[in-house]
Amino acid sequence: MGTNILYIEDNPDNMILVKRVVEAQGYTLFEARNGLEGVAVAEREEIHLILLDINLPDIDGYEVARRLRKSSKHTLAYIPIIAITANALKGDAEKALSAGCDVYMSKPINIHELRARVEGFVSVPKEQG
Amino acid sequence: MDFSFVTNLVCSACGKAYSVGEVNTYCTDCQTPLLTNYDLEAVRKHVDRDEFIKRPRGLWRWHELLPVYDPGNVVSLGEGDAALLRLHNLGEEIASHQLFVKDESSNPTGSFKARGLTAAISKAKELGIQKVIIPTAGNAGGAMAAYAARAGIKAHIFMPKDTPQANIIESRMAGAEVVLVDGLISEAAGMAGEKARAEGWFDLSTFKEPYRVEGKKIMGYELAEAFGWTLPDVIIYPTGGGTGLIGMWKAFAELETLGWLENTQRPRMVVVQAKGCAPVVKAFQAGASFCDFWLNAHTVASGLRVPKSFADHLIMQVLYESNGIAVAVTDEAILAAQHQIGIHEGIFAAPEGAATLAALQTLIREKWVLPDERVVLFNTGSGLKYLDH
Repeated sequence: MGTNILYIEDNPDNMILVKRVVEAQGYTLFEARNGLEGVAVAEREEIHLILLDINLPDIDGYEVARRLRKSSKHTLAYIPIIAITANALKGDAEKALSAGCDVYMSKPINIHELRARVEGFVSVPKEQG
Repeated sequence: MDFSFVTNLVCSACGKAYSVGEVNTYCTDCQTPLLTNYDLEAVRKHVDRDEFIKRPRGLWRWHELLPVYDPGNVVSLGEGDAALLRLHNLGEEIASHQLFVKDESSNPTGSFKARGLTAAISKAKELGIQKVIIPTAGNAGGAMAAYAARAGIKAHIFMPKDTPQANIIESRMAGAEVVLVDGLISEAAGMAGEKARAEGWFDLSTFKEPYRVEGKKIMGYELAEAFGWTLPDVIIYPTGGGTGLIGMWKAFAELETLGWLENTQRPRMVVVQAKGCAPVVKAFQAGASFCDFWLNAHTVASGLRVPKSFADHLIMQVLYESNGIAVAVTDEAILAAQHQIGIHEGIFAAPEGAATLAALQTLIREKWVLPDERVVLFNTGSGLKYLDH
């Protein structure tokens, strides 16, 4: 079985960048363009890691993280969540972590750091085989 | 002869090349900092290392190794060649018998930030950039405002609302638009980035443009020259964004390639941070390549309130390559050290500079620094800029 990553992000440029990185590592990327869609995909699919933008067009990333943690799908209570934000507002990092995210990264996304963070949570599929 | 031997920019992670004749920020592929390359072979052929000392004082006497092609684009306020002072009294007191301070407080706007901003603004002028923006913990904003004013470039600055008054006043005095942010430099960075994208300002954030580090690297050249083309055993450096640390390490690599050093012994580099904001120290202790964002950052040393540097992986690389170490010191130790360096040597150091003395004392106690090693502390600015603390 493959390793599935969900990226909840409304910015298409960031989506393309991250898709290129994680797919090159051998992960499968699921995309969601807003918070509600993200929660739905996480509940429907077998996801192993979530990358979460905070500034989303409907519910914000904090609310997404809270809903995921309280979801009736119990695996979402402990699925790793990496918050990725432009940290334009005071206390974004603190809020993201207290909402249930595991790690906080700021934009621009350093792809080498992203790779390392992702590998820290879910092993690289290409190396498994 | 060419004024500069700059050749191109390369991504510090993936090695992708970029032109120095175009406006660039950071690598578009992997979003990591760009570093500047020079034709060092040509420099070696055309320039005698012992010529530099005969030139008029200042950072731009190293122009072959800086990124500006046309001398007419150099925007200078007389920066560089900050005093390298032997600290006899203090050295006796703490049993460090070859102790020096590079006292950067003599730079225009009273801090080492002048070095980075003279390079960045000069190159911005050369590239035809009309307006620049920066998030700052304080001194970089003041320096950017001053150099932008001299270049006739519009300046916009985002800084934490509790930034020292001197930084706010000096920036406004130089005509910059200053926005005080309810948050830290990380929040200021987010706001500056948004404004830059929306209105076309050029973002001079640490390592989000390639040239500030070039100005800072000259500290490394000055040290090598002052020590007869050798390098000290230990350099103790207060680290927020890490431009100076990375810049000096780059300078040492260039010096080695140029063949200008008498030996290849590189210094052990010491990162000093405040206990209230020590992401590099935490990463170093964990053996990590990147830093975690530091929550609730607080310290009297406003320049050290950087929860995560954009170039954190380069800082970590310098620490590991140099067999260095990262040390966190308390605000109490910083303030005590500030008083100590004043009493013994008559230097009114910035708290960030004083932090290096506090760290040295820890490292001497732990025998990581030995009494006869040649040690250089960096006082990055004047204590006069922090009178409201």
